[in-house]
Amino acid sequence: MAAALDPFTTLGVDENAGDEDIKRRYLALVRAFPPDRDPERFQVYRAAFEALCDERKRLEAKLLNNSDAALARLRLRLLAEAKPFSARASKATLCALLVEGVARASAQGESLVEP
Amino acid sequence: MPAVENYHCPNALAPPASPGAARAMEAMRCGQFRDAIKLFKQLVKEEGPHWRDGLAQAYAARARELAAKGMYEEAQILLDNTAAQDGTVRDPLLYVHCLVKRSRHQKASEHALKYVGTGKLAVAEAARLGEVAAALSLAAPCRLDAAVDPHSERGKWLEQAAAARQALAAWLEGKPHEDIDPLLSRISMRSDFKAVRLILKALITAPLDADRARQLMDPVSPQSPFAALRFAVEAALAAPASDLSRSSSAASGPERSFLLEVNGLSQSGCQSLAQLVNAESSGPGSLFAYLIKQIEKERADDIRKACLSLLPRVPDRLSRFEKSFGPLSAFDKSRVLALAAETRRDWDAAERHWRAATASLEATGDAQPNLALGVIYRHLAHLAGAQDGIDEELDDAAVDYLERSHRSDPDHLPTILRLIAHYRAKNRLGDWSRLIEDTLARFPAEAAVLLAAVERAACAGDLNWAIELAHKLLLLDPINPTVRKRMIELRILLAREKMRANRPDLAEQEIAEALKLELSEAPSSPLRIAAAVIAMGNAGSSAAAARLREAVHLAGGGVCIWVQASLEHLLMGGIGDGSMLRRELKAAQKAPPTKEAILSIASAVDGDATREHGAAVASLIRGLQRWLLKGATLAWSADEVRPVVAMLRQAEAYQVLAAYAKQGLARNRSEGMWHFYRLIAETKGNACVLSEADAEELGDIADYAAHNGRLHDARLIWSFLDSADDRESAKDTDVDWHLDDLISNVISGSLMSISPGEVASLIARHGEAKAVKFVAGRLQKSPAGAILPAEKLRELAHEIVEEVMAEIARPPRARENRPWQQR
Repeated sequence: MAAALDPFTTLGVDENAGDEDIKRRYLALVRAFPPDRDPERFQVYRAAFEALCDERKRLEAKLLNNSDAALARLRLRLLAEAKPFSARASKATLCALLVEGVARASAQGESLVEP
Repeated sequence: MPAVENYHCPNALAPPASPGAARAMEAMRCGQFRDAIKLFKQLVKEEGPHWRDGLAQAYAARARELAAKGMYEEAQILLDNTAAQDGTVRDPLLYVHCLVKRSRHQKASEHALKYVGTGKLAVAEAARLGEVAAALSLAAPCRLDAAVDPHSERGKWLEQAAAARQALAAWLEGKPHEDIDPLLSRISMRSDFKAVRLILKALITAPLDADRARQLMDPVSPQSPFAALRFAVEAALAAPASDLSRSSSAASGPERSFLLEVNGLSQSGCQSLAQLVNAESSGPGSLFAYLIKQIEKERADDIRKACLSLLPRVPDRLSRFEKSFGPLSAFDKSRVLALAAETRRDWDAAERHWRAATASLEATGDAQPNLALGVIYRHLAHLAGAQDGIDEELDDAAVDYLERSHRSDPDHLPTILRLIAHYRAKNRLGDWSRLIEDTLARFPAEAAVLLAAVERAACAGDLNWAIELAHKLLLLDPINPTVRKRMIELRILLAREKMRANRPDLAEQEIAEALKLELSEAPSSPLRIAAAVIAMGNAGSSAAAARLREAVHLAGGGVCIWVQASLEHLLMGGIGDGSMLRRELKAAQKAPPTKEAILSIASAVDGDATREHGAAVASLIRGLQRWLLKGATLAWSADEVRPVVAMLRQAEAYQVLAAYAKQGLARNRSEGMWHFYRLIAETKGNACVLSEADAEELGDIADYAAHNGRLHDARLIWSFLDSADDRESAKDTDVDWHLDDLISNVISGSLMSISPGEVASLIARHGEAKAVKFVAGRLQKSPAGAILPAEKLRELAHEIVEEVMAEIARPPRARENRPWQQR
């Protein structure tokens, strides 16, 4: 999971969500990703919940930080059709990845710096 | 410069055949490969073809040099010069690298294939090139040689290549895993195509079990030519849909395409997302421009919010934003400008814009703007230097903002606790009491507030109220060791009061209550000592004496603990026979003194309670003079010895103080404080008998200390020098409390509460005008504020600031060889 995301985006709640909505969403996420199974992800959700758990903190998040929530919503809409590993990559992409790998591997063999 | 360690002469053990050969090899060693090529060419021509190997090495070294500079075509041409009849070159991996970098994938693939199964290369190089050839044979398939013996090594390799190609094609065509698995099983795990098998297996496992898919790819080394494919699959496994575009922003082009494709995004979806990702990675300005273009396509509200969020990073787009979305409110505009100022670390501008934002909010009186005001004022306090811990000292600007935040949002507990701690530290007793009472009414069951209220009640001498509050606190948190310890201390204080009021029965009751709070695993030695002292006072029996010895032993024994027991006896009113204590104290003095023991005694006699019994405590200390005298030879620093000096002055033990000063000066003559301590001892603490030269020297020492930020030392000296003035004025006038004197005392008391260090910090942080404003505000809140008009307070503040500025700007005076005289 990407670090330092907007807490609203991390929890997937609206900027105007209240205490109850936020708590419900947080508990749902913790149930889906329990700390014993994915501690790193749990810490991210926990930090986001802590940052939004009362009205003052939400105001702080909204007033003093640059919120990414709206941008995240745009991104989500673009990604709405996405389903992980639901499709196959194109041959061109696969070949490009293999060539990229060859370029890196042969550069390492020759002590050349591969950008 | 490329390495030349690999270079060796064809006849390395033999001496060079000619000066030309020596020059060629020297050129190679020095990395002058162009010269080396020329020299070796000449050698081949003049001395024979056995120098061809040297020439090939020179070509290869020069090719590496050029490739490192990105000159792949030139490097390839040089390597062509080393080609054998079968087309193999001196450095095939470099040759392939150059071809790949020039996008000659087909040729690279064909060239890499030349070495497969030929045994021409060393094992490690062959393995590396074999894998490169494998990856290239899939990325850019070349025509396979049909005439190869299928049982030969080369033949087997080609068979593996065909299997890998088929498996890959099956996956690309979207065939089910039942069809792909048999093809994968044809790829040997010992072949150069092992990574293909693992990655394809991971790809068909990924939709079902991501963890297993990750594990499957573990054997694919990061140095492998298949690593880029492995990393792309891993990135796709790690990124859920919501993170997709963000996590791909750091990825390479092919990796990003792979990520989008395997997530089933359409062509247009991929394109839009790619545009967004590109705009994001190009910076806030590009992203802003991209978003503005999307107004028609996307939800305008979200576009507006996203642009508004970007504005602090691109404040020059404010007018563009208003043109597209209409004018911003005064509050939003100020907020954007304040955040923009913070981004460029312009704190003055940030403060100005935040103040403008609060001004626009203050116009309304609803609850929500008040909470927002509280948030902004707390933020301003933070910008003014108030960090998040409660213990940090706050400057006046930070306090002012915290007070504003508290007025706007009176229920924000962390702010209240910070203000309570600040008022306590700055001795603003009125504000301290008022805020605690107010907070206690708002938060009657809040442990931190109750603890603060306990301290306030204890400080005010209302021990019963303090105990009641501590009791409430213990009900909330029964095992809190800090609260239990404080409760025990309060009970001891109350027991002392009872003993002094000649009610030992009640004192014993208090101690019995305190003993109930003692944790068995952490017995309280002060409580045991107090209990034993009361028992001695009541009965004076040998059993009580034994109990006291046991309590002292429990606390570690030694002179300092017997001093504490003696002090407890004093504070309990000195009731009963103290001879046992004196005997034990004398016996303990046989042990040599240590710094820790002496400092513990100094700390024990420094409390408020002991100060009330000054004469008796002084007598107790004087009883330790011989023992303390031995401590003068310990290696004290002037800082360390400060509390000891205070104790010796209190006890008027000037002979001992003189010994400490003498030893200190012997160790460090340039330390001004030792001179100060010497002069105190010589004058027996009477500044009136100081010579003019000594007084002037002390003034210089104090100035030097203040200039170096040692304000505590400076204050000590100034206070000593001022005591001379006080004594003189006491002689001149009778003690007559005229109104003018009273006013003067109030004002000077108020002025004393503002340290030069604080003022200097204000000037440095906010400039002269603001410092005057803050100091005036501070005076307004002090007792002087009640008796002087605002105009007069401003004048006073101005004078204080000017004085501190003059002190800061004071030029150094070069005099004798003493640091405070060289300043």
